[in-house]
Formats: sequence, structure tokens, C-alpha cells
Amino acid sequence: MKFAVCVKQVPGTTEVQLDPVTHTIIRDGRKGVTNPFDAAAVELAVTLKEQVGGSVTAISMGIPAAESMLRDCIARGADEGVLLTDRQFAGADTLATSYTLSKGIEKMGGADCILCGRMAVDGDTAQIGPELAERLGLPHVTDVIAVLSVEENALVLRKTTADGTIDLRVALPCVITVLREVAQVRLPSIEGIRRSFAAPVHVWSAADIGTDPARTGLNGSPTQVMRTFVPEKTKITKMFSGTPEEQATALCTALKEVL
Amino acid sequence: MLIQPFSPAHAGLVRDESRTVGYADSVSFPRSHEQVTQIVRSLYQDGIPFTVQGARTGLTAAAVPFGGHILNVTRMNRILGLNRLGENGFSVSVQPGVPLCELRKALSARRFDHASWSKASLGALSAFMHSREQFFPPDPTETTATLGGMVSCNASGARSYRYGATRPYVLAVRAVLPDGRSLSLRRGECFADGYTLTLPLENGSRLTVQIPQYIMPKTKNTAGYFAAPDMDAVDLLVGSDGTLCVFTELELQLLPLPACIQGVTCLFETEIQAAAFVQAVREQVEGVVSLEYFDEGALAVLRDQRADHPAFASLPPLDEWIGAALYVELHGDDEAFVTDRLNEIGDLLSACGGDPAHTWVARTQTDLDRLMFFRHAVPESVNLLIDRRKQAEPGITKLGSDMAVPDEHLDHILTYYRQTTQALGLHTATWGHIGNNHLHVNVLPRNLEEYTKGKALFNEWAHKVTALNGAVSAEHGVGKLKAGFLTAMYSPESLAQMRAVKAAFDPKLLLGRGNLFAEKEESR
Amino acid sequence: MILDRAACLSCGLCADSCPQQAIAMENGHPVFNENCIQCGLCADSCPAEALKRPETAAAKADNTVLVVVEQSNGRVEEVSLALIAKAQAMTGQCAALLCGPCPESAAQTLINCGADTVFFAPDERLVYPEEGLYTALVCALVEKLAPAALLIGATPFGRSIAPRIAARLHTGLTADCTALSIEEETGLLLQTRPAFGGNLMATIRCAAARPQMATVRPGVFPVPALAGPRTGRVETLETPAEAQPFYQVLTRAQGAQEDGLAKAEIIVTVGRGIGIRKNMALAYRLAELLGAQVGVTRPLVDAGWATTQQQIGQTGCSVSPKLLIAVGVSGAIQHLSGMTGAKTVVAINSDPDAPIFSVTDFGIVGVCEDVLPQLIEALSK
Repeated sequence: MKFAVCVKQVPGTTEVQLDPVTHTIIRDGRKGVTNPFDAAAVELAVTLKEQVGGSVTAISMGIPAAESMLRDCIARGADEGVLLTDRQFAGADTLATSYTLSKGIEKMGGADCILCGRMAVDGDTAQIGPELAERLGLPHVTDVIAVLSVEENALVLRKTTADGTIDLRVALPCVITVLREVAQVRLPSIEGIRRSFAAPVHVWSAADIGTDPARTGLNGSPTQVMRTFVPEKTKITKMFSGTPEEQATALCTALKEVL
Repeated sequence: MLIQPFSPAHAGLVRDESRTVGYADSVSFPRSHEQVTQIVRSLYQDGIPFTVQGARTGLTAAAVPFGGHILNVTRMNRILGLNRLGENGFSVSVQPGVPLCELRKALSARRFDHASWSKASLGALSAFMHSREQFFPPDPTETTATLGGMVSCNASGARSYRYGATRPYVLAVRAVLPDGRSLSLRRGECFADGYTLTLPLENGSRLTVQIPQYIMPKTKNTAGYFAAPDMDAVDLLVGSDGTLCVFTELELQLLPLPACIQGVTCLFETEIQAAAFVQAVREQVEGVVSLEYFDEGALAVLRDQRADHPAFASLPPLDEWIGAALYVELHGDDEAFVTDRLNEIGDLLSACGGDPAHTWVARTQTDLDRLMFFRHAVPESVNLLIDRRKQAEPGITKLGSDMAVPDEHLDHILTYYRQTTQALGLHTATWGHIGNNHLHVNVLPRNLEEYTKGKALFNEWAHKVTALNGAVSAEHGVGKLKAGFLTAMYSPESLAQMRAVKAAFDPKLLLGRGNLFAEKEESR
Repeated sequence: MILDRAACLSCGLCADSCPQQAIAMENGHPVFNENCIQCGLCADSCPAEALKRPETAAAKADNTVLVVVEQSNGRVEEVSLALIAKAQAMTGQCAALLCGPCPESAAQTLINCGADTVFFAPDERLVYPEEGLYTALVCALVEKLAPAALLIGATPFGRSIAPRIAARLHTGLTADCTALSIEEETGLLLQTRPAFGGNLMATIRCAAARPQMATVRPGVFPVPALAGPRTGRVETLETPAEAQPFYQVLTRAQGAQEDGLAKAEIIVTVGRGIGIRKNMALAYRLAELLGAQVGVTRPLVDAGWATTQQQIGQTGCSVSPKLLIAVGVSGAIQHLSGMTGAKTVVAINSDPDAPIFSVTDFGIVGVCEDVLPQLIEALSK
């Protein structure tokens, strides 16, 4: 089976640091890391490959430096990487990103199973998986916590819902988005790291994958950010005084609002 | 009222991670130097013995009181400011109750509660925000330890292999002496004249101390007071095990965090392979900051806990064939350098009977945290096991050694530990800082008889290690539990010199009774 | 981002401010790479106002807001009702799409909440929601209705269909909003959502495509009290013939409770300050009244008063309940590290200086033995 896993490089921390004097945001010098949900998706794909055979390709849209992340995916068991990188892709929202990824996957010759992390920890949108599935005309299943079995032309999956779980069968090819619990990400070995330096990472531009400039990057992104601001985050403790009875009554009233 | 009577709600305060349980009559939670002064003066007047404690993560019962007053500094937990050192350096001023993990969090997120900071501190903060990330190198496994506790026992940890223990990072201290007088010392400003040290106190008076004349071992060492001719006064207070003064402010040196930090855990079938690999890495690989060992017994306990206990389920699976594991951490200023070192480690593994495929490499913070969790899970899971055994046999507790020997004796001491414990049929789990030939052999008694045998064996080891020019306590301090070992390591004259230092600071012998110097008989 | 080169001071503050490391200074001016997500922090940091977010010409805005209602086995999600009321309040024109076999009263409930028209698709296959059929239904209705905005509750199902619909309609989508409003000058929908793990908020709009789509977190807007009946139209919809479910459901399981503390919504935690052992019964009684689970600090496990599985903190489990009531818990750092995910924290402790109060929303200084019986009595009423 041919697995493609969409991975994104995210900042090493989502903490926002402010200069106490100038109140400007300070860039964290830390290196980007693989979005942890995507890392779980890679682990799942590699585990499935080890069971049923096939290959795993990690694919990402990002800056040239994201190549190191793809090599890290290879060190953890993926076979090759694809990096979609082009100035044209800058400023993309999820609609433009999913379009770009779909063109990359088409150029790869498609895949039997496309895996995405449920969401990226920096964007938190959880949109790429279903949007990508729509672009590729494939069914999608979100919030997968387990692959119960791999059949000839289908997967049997368990997904979470608001109030429980569903076991389901979805025909291949398909797109699934996974929760972090789906797999415990392995640590790479020195041998895996050596392999990752020798394995291919294909770097493709907009011209290579034939994207429509009107649908990528800023041009292909209908949403725009108007304003950003740091939310006020102060915890104010309300203390109840009086006799134990008065305290309990006041707390009881407050609790009713919370519950 | 600063001094409160001891109540059942304080029950947790009479124990530490060594599982020793003591008792006390009163307790206080000061927030400032002034409050400490007030409390100590009152205790001095009434002649009440007292024990200083922080997070009680110590392993020698130094923070466990046997009667008297508990002076708990955990509410002195403010980071007081940052200071610039030269062009690019920084230090941080803290109260002693700041936990190491909180300091780390603040340094890494560069987020401080700076509302009450001085102008100079805010200026340093502004520079700090734009400088390279800084870190405080000492890294005891238990990161909830307070900085005051770390300074008191001169804590070290895995990275001490490269960065050394806590002592050199202490730039200045403010403290209250057992009689209530205040003392401020800055490194580089007050030295002993030969073996005579005169300390200027804040009120203009002086305290003169005779430095002991013993020669300290060349290994990592926290056994007894630091002593050397012409020594810096700060060095005497660091590692004094809560017996000389109560720290109220500490200024600690920071270092720029290396740009690239990677760790690798190497899995071996046998201890012999692992020991050969340690020698090879020590001789041939640059950039190594720690070399940590886990023996078969430690891995077995971890394997069991992983199966039973949800908190450990996220540990990587440990196959049955694994008989030893070694963690190597590499620091470097660029990734290419560290990757090359990793490759060398791969080659050395192949040469020593290991396999580059049987390694866990961490190149991201998340993965490093996982390997740290693994390291931390070893003592935690051993403690859980002992707690279970203790339910059946309340008289037993874990026996953990903390001895170090010089490099050339590593193979010898490994074999010696193994042979002597096996000869007695004891269940052991061993882990620790093999890079410094400093292993924590833990005897896990199944009954009182084994407990007694293990205790006696450790005394034997103390003599053996001393004969090899090693230290009987390399990082945990001496506290109450290892006070007996000092008699193996030091002559009666040396011990008397140490007692004289204690008496100069604390003529009424009120502070930290039972620490360093064994009380005649302790009712436990 | 749009750069006014003449105004640019070449100071590089924009590059320093970019959390995505998307800006490189080339020849003294910022150049944006593929990491740029248009968050606009660089524009905010620019002392010369040389950077601007790109403006797109506003399309003609009409006012209908369509709310996709999530219905599962006869039960309508509360967030759907809240969105209908919010849509009505914002624009005065709200349509709702209700799918699946439902009693007639369900459509009237939606109207009472604020829907002017309810489009009802009684497809028998939609007893439970399913992505393939919903997507087809919503897209068919959008084609017919051409609404200005499309709102969906940010439930797991809503977050699965919304991007699928957005991609099919080639429009923008803002996920997981915590605030919505209409921009006065343009009539556009302003959508505010947390970014960077909640450390930053972003206000987003979608000027160039229709409908403007947003999913909204449950609990953000109040569920309307159903005061009086309103009148509205109900129109029946057929599921498009070509629509197919994406997958075949084999079994459905209701939420398993086996996860214990880690997944518990309400937790009562007990620490040493509870006093004597028999007071544990008070904590359990309180937990029973609240439908809560009981967690403890480590000293209680050490004392044998509770099991290891109940321990919260560094060596125990981490919890993230909606409500945590800490009884006699002093708040040692090892314990606090396990409860950072708790939303509302209540603490009862006799020591006003206990560190637990620094992370507390509601606090009572008092002896547990005195306060708990009173609290139990007050809650029993």
C-alpha cells in the first residue's frame, strides 16, 4: 500500500514572548519541529507499512528548511519526502494549502491512504484533511484513534465522536485525520538517521506541480487576518468570607453558574 | 504569627524522598530575609533546634526534622531579578524556595513576574530577552528541587559530567546565621588566609572560622565541608548541608544554551558491553555532557511499572533482551558537529558489541523530554516498588548509594558492587552518572534481614571507596542518613575540625541537628 | 503582506516579530516566505507603518446567515440553537438547515430560537450525522439560497464537514471562533479565534468569497431561553440523488468511562488538609453530589488513604476537568503540574497563604471539616 502523510513544521513553542519594556513580540530562536499530530500520523503509516508492506511518503508545503523535518520523518521510518516550496505559496490559508498539497500528491501519482494529523498546534484549524479530501475527490474520516484492520480495498477504523466512538469501514483510497493517541511516536535510531541522510527528498516548485497561481498563496486565500492581539489572561481569585455556612452558600451559587 | 504549632495538616513536612519520617513541634513559612531573621532570633533565644527545608526532594533526610522547629522556605519562591555579567553574560537572583523547574520554565519562556524588580534588573531583562537563550547548568533528576536545597547539598546531575556541580554557579549568597545575624557574600571578595577565614557580617561584626585541613577527593564529592587553603568563603557555605546558615537570597550564574542539544540512549545486552562503550566514549567523543547508566535491575523494575502503572505507559517499550542502557547527551554550537559525534557513537557501538539500530535518539525538545522522563521514571518506579514492599514490612526502606571513584577504577568498582550484592542475594537496581564513575546502587530489600544486610554492606563500600580515593557521598549530600559514612572517609581529627566549623557558626548547635554529624541515638 | 518600500526604515523589527520565521531581510527590506500565514504581527510591529495587511475589495454583502444544525438521534446540539439566536441578533435574517428524521417540534424549536426559515431534509440515513450526505445537502442549499454567511458549531462533526464544504464551495473558513460580529462599514463578518495555542487572538474576515464560513466553539454564545413562539417557514429539502455517505458505520459506542480521572469533567481533589481519615467520606459525598471523581495528592497515597490511580500530579495523572474542587490541598508544585488543564478551580484550605490559592478562581479559607458539611447541605438543596 502506498501511504502519503501530510506534515507541517510548526514553531518549537507556541508561547508568545513579549519584551517587558517595548511590548513587542520576540521571535523565539528555536528550531521548528514536526507538528505532533502529524508525527503520530507518520508513526501510524510506518506501523501499517510494516504490517502490510508498501511505502510511506512524507509531504509538506513549507520553506526549504523544512527538508530537515522530512528527513526526520524518514529517520522514523518513512521512505522518502516531498517538499513543496515556492515563493508563490507564501501567505496561504488552509484552502490554498490544501489545493497545493493536492497537486503535490497528484504529481506523486496519488496514494492509497493519505494521513493527516487532526490539526496543527500552531494554527489549530483542523481543516487541511477534509479540504484535501475534497480536492482529491476522496472520502475522509476525521479524529481516527485506531486502525482496526486493513482490508483489500478498505480500512476498518475507530474514530471518536462528541460522545463516544464509531467503528467504520471506509473504501480506499481515502484521507484520514488522526489523533495523537493513534500511535506512540518512535524515537529514531542512529541507523535511521544515517538512512535519512541518504534517502531522497524531492523538492518541487509551483511549476513542477503545475499549480494555478490564482489558487495558491495569498491569491488563493479568501480569508485575511485583520488584527491580532494578546488575550488578557489574568486569573482573579474570588474569596468567600463569613461563617462556613455563608461561605458554602456563596460558593454553591458560584458553582451553579460554572456547571 | 510566623511560628505555628505543628498540626496534622503538616504531616507531609516531616518526610523526604528518602522515605525517612521524623517529627516536629512547630513550623514556619517565611517569605523574606527579614522574616527568617525574626524567626531564627526567636528560636535562638529559646534554644529551640530547627531544620531548614525546601521541596523535600533530598535523599539523605537532611530536611527531615527530629523534633524542634521546621523552617520551610517554599514560600520564598520569587525570582528577584536578572543581572548582567560583562557584555553577554547573565546571572539570576532568586529566593531559596524557587524550584529548579520554575527557574527553567521562566528562563526558557523568558517570562518573569517582574513587577517589583529594580530598574537595573529590568534593563538586564530587556537585554536578556534579545540575547541567546540562557540556562542554569546543574540538573538533578528531580527538577522540583528548590534552588536553596541544591545549593545546600551542592547538587549535581547528569550534566555535571561536563558542567560540574552547583558550587561554581553560586556567585553570591545572603544568609541568616543560627544566632540571627545576617551575612552577605560575593564570590571573589572574601578569601581564607591559609586556613583562617574571617567573615564580615552585615552588622559590622566578624566571624572567624578555621578551615579543616583534610584533602578532598578528586572525584565529585559532597561529603563534608568544602575545604582548601585560601578558599573562597562562598565555597564553604555551598554544600554545608543545612548546618551553617539559612540561605535567603542566591545569585546564580547562567550560561548561554548550546544551539544544538541531542541525546541518545544506547541499548546493550550486557553490562560489560556498556562499560567498554563508556570507556570508549570518554576517550574518543567530544561534546559529551552526560553519560548515564541503567542496569538490568533498574530496567526490569521499569519494565514492570510500565505494564502496571498508567503514568509510565508512555515510556518506549523495553524488550526482554536489553540488559543495560546508556544515555549520552551531546551539546554543540551547530548541528553538523553534533551529528558527526552521533555518527562516531554509532561506530563505537558497533565496536563494543552494541548496534546503531538499537538506539533512541532525541533531537527535539519533545524527544529529549521523553528520554528525561525515562531517566526520571527509574527512581520513581523503584520508589513505588519499595512503597509496596513497605506495606508488608514497614521497617524497611530503600537503600541508595551515592559513591564515586576515580576514572581508572570504573570496571573494578562495577564488578565489586555486583559481586558483593550477589553474594548476599540482594535485589538491586543500579543507575546513575557512570561518566563520573558515580553510580546509585539501590538495594531493594524484601524483608528486614535484607535491609540490615544492605545497610552493613554500604558501610563496607564506604571504606572500599575511600581506599580507592573516592567520595562516599558524591551529590546527594550527607544529611542524616550518610553521616555514618563520614567516619569511614575522614579521620577523627578531620571530623573534629569539621565540628569546629559548625560550632563557630552555631555555638548552640541548633541548626540542622543530625546532619553531617550523627546524633548519639535517634529515636525513629 | 503589502510593503510600502518608501516608508520602510529597514529596521528589521518585522523579521524579529514574526513567530513563523517567515520574514528575511533582503537588501534592507522584508521578503516573505512560504511560512507566512498573514497574521499581521509584522504590521503591528512596524514603527513606520510601512507594512499593511492586503485589502481585498469587499463583495456585495447580503444578510442571510445559514446555520447548519447538528442533530443526532433526535437530539439537537445546543451550539446549533445558540448560533441561530446569534445569527438572528447579528443580521435579522437567519435560515437553518435541519437534517435527518426529526419530530415536527424540532423545526419549531429552531424557529423559536430565531430561525426565519427552516430547511428540513428528513433523510432516513441521517439518524446520526454523516459527512458525505451533509456536505451534499449544505452545498445544494447554499447554491439555492446564496447566504452571506454559513455558521456551524465547532463540534467534532462540525469541524469535519465545515472544511469539506468550504473546499467544495471554494470559500474561506475560520475554525473554532470565540467571537463573531458584523463590521459596520462593510457588513462583513468579523471572526475572532485563538491562535498559537491561545496565546494570541486573531480577527479574520473573508471579503472575496461567499459564503463567509465559520465554526464556533460550543459554549461561546448562550443557548436562548425559549420564551415565546415565533413564526417561521419550514421548507422540505431532498438529498441530492448523487450524494453518498463517505463510510459505512459498523458499531457505535457511547463514551467509555474507563478513562477515569484524565477525562473526568468534574473532580474533587483531596489533600492532607482534609484532616483525619474519616473526613474522606465528606469528600466522596461531595463528589457524589456533583457527579465528580475523586483525586488526591501524593501524601494521601503514601498514607494509604487512596490508590495510586487517584494521584494527580507529576508522578500521577494529569487532569483537565471543567471544574476542580481542591479540598485541603496546599498546592505543592508537583501536584499543581498535574492540574494545569483545569478550567475552573475552587479551593478550600485553612491556610490563606497556601499556594493553591494562586491558581484558584473561587477560594474559601476555612477548615474542611466545617466547610464541607455546609457545602454538601447547600448543594443537596
